[in-house]
Amino acid sequence: MKQDRFVALHASEWDQLQAWLYRAETKPGPTMRAEQALDFPASYRRLCHHLALAQARGYSREVTDRLQHIVHQGHRLLYRPPPPRWHRAAFFLVAGFPRLVRAQWRYMALAAALLYLPALVCLVLVHFKPEFAHAVFGSGQLLEFEKMYDPSNPRIGRSSGTDLGMFGFYIWNNVSIAFRTFASGLVFGIGAVYVLATNGVILGTLAGHLDQIGYGAPFWRFVVAHSSFELTAIVITGGAGLKMGLTLLAPGRQRRGQAMMAAGWIGAQLALGGFAMLVAAAFLEAFWSSVASFPDWLKYGSGALLWVVVLGWLLRGGRGGHGA
Amino acid sequence: MLDTVRQIETPEGVFLRLHSAGALPRAQAWLIDLVIRALVFWAAMIPLGLLGRGGMGIGSLVIFALTWIYGVVCEVWFGGQTLGKRVMSLRVVGADGTPVTLMPSVVRNLLRVVDILPGVYAVGLISTLIDPYARRVGDVVAGTMVVHVSDTPWGLQVPVLKAEPPPAGLSAEEQAAIVEFAERCGQLTPQRQRELADLLIPLTGRGGEDGVRQLVAYANYLLGRT
Repeated sequence: MKQDRFVALHASEWDQLQAWLYRAETKPGPTMRAEQALDFPASYRRLCHHLALAQARGYSREVTDRLQHIVHQGHRLLYRPPPPRWHRAAFFLVAGFPRLVRAQWRYMALAAALLYLPALVCLVLVHFKPEFAHAVFGSGQLLEFEKMYDPSNPRIGRSSGTDLGMFGFYIWNNVSIAFRTFASGLVFGIGAVYVLATNGVILGTLAGHLDQIGYGAPFWRFVVAHSSFELTAIVITGGAGLKMGLTLLAPGRQRRGQAMMAAGWIGAQLALGGFAMLVAAAFLEAFWSSVASFPDWLKYGSGALLWVVVLGWLLRGGRGGHGA
Repeated sequence: MLDTVRQIETPEGVFLRLHSAGALPRAQAWLIDLVIRALVFWAAMIPLGLLGRGGMGIGSLVIFALTWIYGVVCEVWFGGQTLGKRVMSLRVVGADGTPVTLMPSVVRNLLRVVDILPGVYAVGLISTLIDPYARRVGDVVAGTMVVHVSDTPWGLQVPVLKAEPPPAGLSAEEQAAIVEFAERCGQLTPQRQRELADLLIPLTGRGGEDGVRQLVAYANYLLGRT
């Protein structure tokens, strides 16, 4: 069959399908509910057949490009992923995320060690050699910290700013750090190691220094509650970054490309879970931790409770056959 | 075969040709996005600035959403296109040409941090130059690619002339070449048309304008017009 006759026979069918595909892209709801949608798979497959014929018969690009274009549109519609469901997000947070964290426990343990060991070492070091704090921070920074945790300050942990203002700042700052920790882990894990270790050093030195000058109480009262979510989230995103970096170095019994895609998939889920944890942490940090007037038992009690909740959630969440 | 075309066999047994987008159009799309996001942020900060420090907090949330969430939301819920990509006719698709899903989109947008190193997208540029499908590092790990939505304008028409049968014995490729020339001659300058047609003087026996017309007449015959 000559090309022109082929086009004359089928062009109206192609135009109809293309017009329908256009409507499906712009107004998906009503178009997909209409009865015509039932014909779509059949007419799409007929179009694919036409394309195969056109290619086999060596028709010109006028026809093949036109059919290619419609086939691509149809391919995207027919093989579209199911729409995201919100109950799956809730299910992921309650069960899927803790399971994933436990499955990656080696990387989590490594990341925790990279954060907490430098912190402990610095804490002890500053306790015995207080001048070490000046080696880590400049004197301007130290003054700023001292102002933040001054026991006479009505809002702990900040020198200025409102609750809402600090909430936004914590989200922007902390989540960006977590995401960067994860992503920079791809560079052989160097980025994740660097962020985890420096945060450990800063944390340990600051805690030690404030203890030394007698501002320890406000500091611990400030951090005890939200640190449960915040530090754990940094450990998890750091661990996800380490996993990517180490997978790049040693993909194991997989091709490197495949292994990286699998690690990226897991890492992205861990990063999203970490994001949710950091939102909770920012909320606590801005609206709860900063209140100086709460009595000690409430501060430390709530902090202990939150640590138990977070660790219990990560260690026990999603266990048991239900919905596995 | 052009090296930036990725052929994917669909379950229907036909080959889908995806034209992957190189660094330049993607950089342009990114710049457009950057300008749009800067304008949105600027517009949001005018009323928020009046709210004082609380407004700054909401401003931080706005800049957070523009930095980390904008790309993912556009790609997953708006057909794989940010506004910049829409202007440049680009689209993010999965490795098999299907729409990109949430996790791959999160991966490629978070790993932008690596591609942007050291501040000027050097890693991403090198990666797009090395990779056969011009993917940056984030795309490679996510298993996605950026394609041109419509690379070649289809619907080129062979000008209608009285059909004449070409000399016998032309192979299928030679026939296809004649039809392709006739399809595209509308996009070429008359000088270039004549130059190309003159290559086929041994076939047509004519040079210049007449040669071009002769080839178009052959093409009309090959397409089955009378």
